[in-house]
Amino acid sequence: MLAKLKAVTFEVLETMYYLFPETLEEGEVVPAKGPFLRSWVTIAGPQSIRIGLQVPQSLARKMAANFLGTEEAGISKPEMEDILKETTNMMAGAFLSKMEASGALKLQTPEAQWLADADKNKKPLANRLRFDVDDELLELFVEKG
Amino acid sequence: MAYNVLIVDDSATMRALIRKVLVISGFDIGEYFEGANGREALGVLEQNWVDIILSDVHMPEMDGAALVRSLKEHEMWRHIPVVLITTESRPEVINPFLNLGVHDYIQKPFRPETIKKKLTGILGEAITPDASETESCDF
Repeated sequence: MLAKLKAVTFEVLETMYYLFPETLEEGEVVPAKGPFLRSWVTIAGPQSIRIGLQVPQSLARKMAANFLGTEEAGISKPEMEDILKETTNMMAGAFLSKMEASGALKLQTPEAQWLADADKNKKPLANRLRFDVDDELLELFVEKG
Repeated sequence: MAYNVLIVDDSATMRALIRKVLVISGFDIGEYFEGANGREALGVLEQNWVDIILSDVHMPEMDGAALVRSLKEHEMWRHIPVVLITTESRPEVINPFLNLGVHDYIQKPFRPETIKKKLTGILGEAITPDASETESCDF
């Protein structure tokens, strides 16, 4: 499952943002300063799961600017939220298609939340993959829905 | 030939992106319209001529399926091609829309060339008269 998620993460980031992530191995560190933006989408079904992304605000801003083709300085917080939710949604949709998942699994509306450094540590991510995206940290996580 | 395009999506960010991608692709846009849901799209159609509609699936108030049903019931709008912009390509999700009369779908993430190819293909088909109709015309 994580391998397929990794593949769709690469596909979405490369196609929509022209960003090329590199997988971080255990112990590799990319400095990341909060606040962080976390977005997730629930795939509802017999065994619901939640797929999500977490990025520092600086990367959220860069993604939004690339996505919209505008300057980073002009990007608002709601735009960053919209973009990360849309990214998560695209990843979850592509993931379901790749898995040839049954119709019993339904994508729910994506959600987003801002986290300060302290909050982030209170809510650690369990099953996660970490990526280096232009020297910024992007975390992909999967949890029970 | 320039085409009037209507983009229907509840996310203003996504509407802006689709418009940007259309411009990058080189697709010849005449007038550009947008709506945040099916109801707003119908409002646009009442006031303007539209050649093609690009619609999201999930939207508040009136979703993509309800929009397509409304279009198919209307004498003037039933032939306007509708293309779904969707995150999913599973047959369970897509087939009900194709059965309703949606022309095609584009799965996100997409590339500009994919959009241009699809739209040009659909509009080419839409404006090319059916062979049987051509034969029956008496010029």
